[in-house]
Amino acid sequence: MIASLIVTLDAKTQDTIDQISGLPGVEIGTVNQDAARLPITIDSADPNALEEITRSLQECPGVAFVDVVFVHFEEARHARLKTENCFNG
Amino acid sequence: MDNDQPLPLDAIQRRQFIKASAMAAATAVAGGTGFSLPILAQEPKDRIEWEKAPCRFCGTGCHVQVGVQGGKVVAVAGDQNAEVNKGLLCVKGYHVGSALYGEDRLTKPLLRDGDSYREISWDEAIKTIADRIEAAPERFAFYGSGQWTIPEGYAAQKFMKGGLANNHIDPNARLCMASAVTGFLATYGVDEPAGCYDDLDVCDVLIMWGNNPAEMHPVLFSRVTDRRSRGEKVLLIDIGTRRTRTTDACQHYLEMKGHGDMAIANGIAHLLIKNGTYDRKFVESHCNFKAPDDENPNLHGKPITFDEYKRQLEPYTPEHVEELSGVLADDIRMLAELFGNPELKITSLWCMGMNQHTRGTAINSMVHGVHLLSGHFGTPGNAPTSLTGQPSACGTVREVGTLAHALPGGRVVADAEHRQQAEEFWNVPENRINPIPGYHTVKMWESFCTPTDEGGDIGTIWVQVTNPGQTLPNLNKLFNPKESNKANLEDKFLIVSDVYPTATTRLADLILPSAMWVEKNGVVGNSERRTQQWFKMVDPPGDARDDCWQAIAVAHELFERGMDGMKDRDDRFLFEVNGEDDQPVPIWEWEHYYDVNVDKHLFEEYRQFSRMKHKDLAPYDEYVKARGLRWPVVEQDGEWNETLWRFSEGYDPYVKQGEDIQFYHSSTHDDRAQIWFHPWIAPAEVPDDEYPFMLCTGRVLEHWHTGSMTRRIPELSRAMPGGYLEICAEDAAAYGLRNGDKALVESRRGSLVIPVWIDGRGQPPRGTVFIPFFDEMLLVNDLTLDALDPFSKQPDYKKSAVRIEKVSS
Repeated sequence: MIASLIVTLDAKTQDTIDQISGLPGVEIGTVNQDAARLPITIDSADPNALEEITRSLQECPGVAFVDVVFVHFEEARHARLKTENCFNG
Repeated sequence: MDNDQPLPLDAIQRRQFIKASAMAAATAVAGGTGFSLPILAQEPKDRIEWEKAPCRFCGTGCHVQVGVQGGKVVAVAGDQNAEVNKGLLCVKGYHVGSALYGEDRLTKPLLRDGDSYREISWDEAIKTIADRIEAAPERFAFYGSGQWTIPEGYAAQKFMKGGLANNHIDPNARLCMASAVTGFLATYGVDEPAGCYDDLDVCDVLIMWGNNPAEMHPVLFSRVTDRRSRGEKVLLIDIGTRRTRTTDACQHYLEMKGHGDMAIANGIAHLLIKNGTYDRKFVESHCNFKAPDDENPNLHGKPITFDEYKRQLEPYTPEHVEELSGVLADDIRMLAELFGNPELKITSLWCMGMNQHTRGTAINSMVHGVHLLSGHFGTPGNAPTSLTGQPSACGTVREVGTLAHALPGGRVVADAEHRQQAEEFWNVPENRINPIPGYHTVKMWESFCTPTDEGGDIGTIWVQVTNPGQTLPNLNKLFNPKESNKANLEDKFLIVSDVYPTATTRLADLILPSAMWVEKNGVVGNSERRTQQWFKMVDPPGDARDDCWQAIAVAHELFERGMDGMKDRDDRFLFEVNGEDDQPVPIWEWEHYYDVNVDKHLFEEYRQFSRMKHKDLAPYDEYVKARGLRWPVVEQDGEWNETLWRFSEGYDPYVKQGEDIQFYHSSTHDDRAQIWFHPWIAPAEVPDDEYPFMLCTGRVLEHWHTGSMTRRIPELSRAMPGGYLEICAEDAAAYGLRNGDKALVESRRGSLVIPVWIDGRGQPPRGTVFIPFFDEMLLVNDLTLDALDPFSKQPDYKKSAVRIEKVSS
């Protein structure tokens, strides 16, 4: 699974960036020097691992909040919407 | 990823591509650059054609660049030329193109045949609808939404009020922003915000009143948080009943009880007067005072003096407000100090929290009142601004007037002069328009679900672009009887035009497959009075067709049958459109519908109405060139200029020179706005021993409204797969609930078994729970209350008493 996220920092410090880059599967993109929002990707084995890494990100000192831009499932098929109780099964 | 099996080379390359796309998307959002995001996990091969369109989802009105290749939408990017979003999109916006390509798109008209459906031709479908209308035109109702484009809503409006002389047309927007409308009307005499999104770029203080823009209008919210990240000082205050993502970004969170907002507004006004910090000059020059007329309840109330206003506010000391609202007295003082400081620029935002409220008209008026009393109005950064949830709630519902009492351009059916104006524009015979307002949403569905011999006088409803089987409150009263009381409602007939099967199509008698978004032309109006246009880019699937065409085709079938209402004064078809040769084009035949631009024709006809209440629109072609224009759009020196701040000299061309501020549609006809006093009143239902929790419902970032589109987008569906009961850890522990446990939630109206999420996306306080409404498998509106605001007729979805019980596995 590959997820695309934005991490918004309270203040952009090297310590925070080091902590984020040390998380498993995390890759940090490039942005303007002054920007407090980091583009990152997470490459994880499964949804649980992804959730765990995201939670760790949120708990990193200096991280204000984390937004998910998208999550790509390698085996993705169209999500099946459960419409059994609606129409056409 | 499967770590046990090595990936083949092409899979690795594909994976690298996806990862690069993921990083591009994140970089685009983080840096505001214009990267395009391939939305279908499909590598671009040939040249992609790019065209502009507003996003299909919320009322923010972000513009997207839509990439089309081989007759299919393959990419979406934020539009850097759009003032609203400046190249940014939220997670829903980036995936909007995928909404077209769910596997279960409706592609054929389907007629109920017992417990199943059979495919029928469009011709049979149109005739079936015409039969129902012809048999009893007065028992027919049209139910739409702020997802109707402006031309679609206008056509439906003209068909009903100008054709059938029937005012039973109302939108889903009744459930979402009707109280904002009545709040604006009661205060300024005319609807819609005076300010605009530019206020967010310059305000010093932003107050969210029961509003969660971080999830519901994320691009707008990012305009403010970006300012902070650039080092600007802006104070964010969240007044709410539960912690949300918005709270996380705010310096102050003021947690209130339901209806606490009314006490807070009165508390601020009380202190402004007591401390002498209200703006005396602004008030004396531009405002009157009003209070409810209890003997003759009406939207415009009764006049009171400043001294009476002051006296009525006297009980609302900070300490008393703390008792009523739960917000600390010191925080009320803080708010009053901020409003009392003329150096600060203050913007207020609200949405469903203040609108879905049995005193919605009152609280809307009261927040306007706080801004007027303190003079925080009419200059950049000083604005009370309501937001909308649907892409054209403003454009189609509020401006076109697709409400049971309204006519286009801010006119009303009850006014003889307004009816006469509309009849002139429509070229229909005098007295064609019925002067009696039709049924508002709740009354319409209540009548439909009541047997005819018990007074249920709505026999047929045609639903377009909305999903009432999921969004109506108290579904067991207002929708589900179609199934549960089938034997007594056999003569009732439900027609649903939609793009996917929904909770509403489930009970439909006739289902019509519709085109959506860039499968058709469109014009919409967003929350800041911005009108936006786009062209059709791809064909709809199968036999899906435009909603507007469907209405026109039915109208023409009735015209062919000789129904007088479908003829104008000259006996011509009500929707006659001439081609370049000045001859009528048979637009009721699908193969000829796009021979002319029907949208342009309808828009230009509608535009005449827009000038009646200074909501002037520019010619259609001006919108083709622009990323939207904010009305009034007035031609000056050969240029069509938009208006950023209404009623304010120097910005609004209709304000007379030297007036500074002029409320030129004042209900008191003296160019003044009304500052209202309303007493605090308890919610319609409050927790008690039997039902000890307050249930709040709402939306989540990943899904738009009922999820009928976003749940078919794999990335969004996986990110937020299903509904949940949000509960705090203390309450969960008290009921022995853990994450993932099932809970039975019961109200006086229905029950629901739903998984528990402890302190989930939001964090409700003790005694409050939250359930989102996007999941059609977990219909929270089986539980909600259908109590209404007395003026807007909008229900309260935020305060229903419930009880909870753990369901043993």
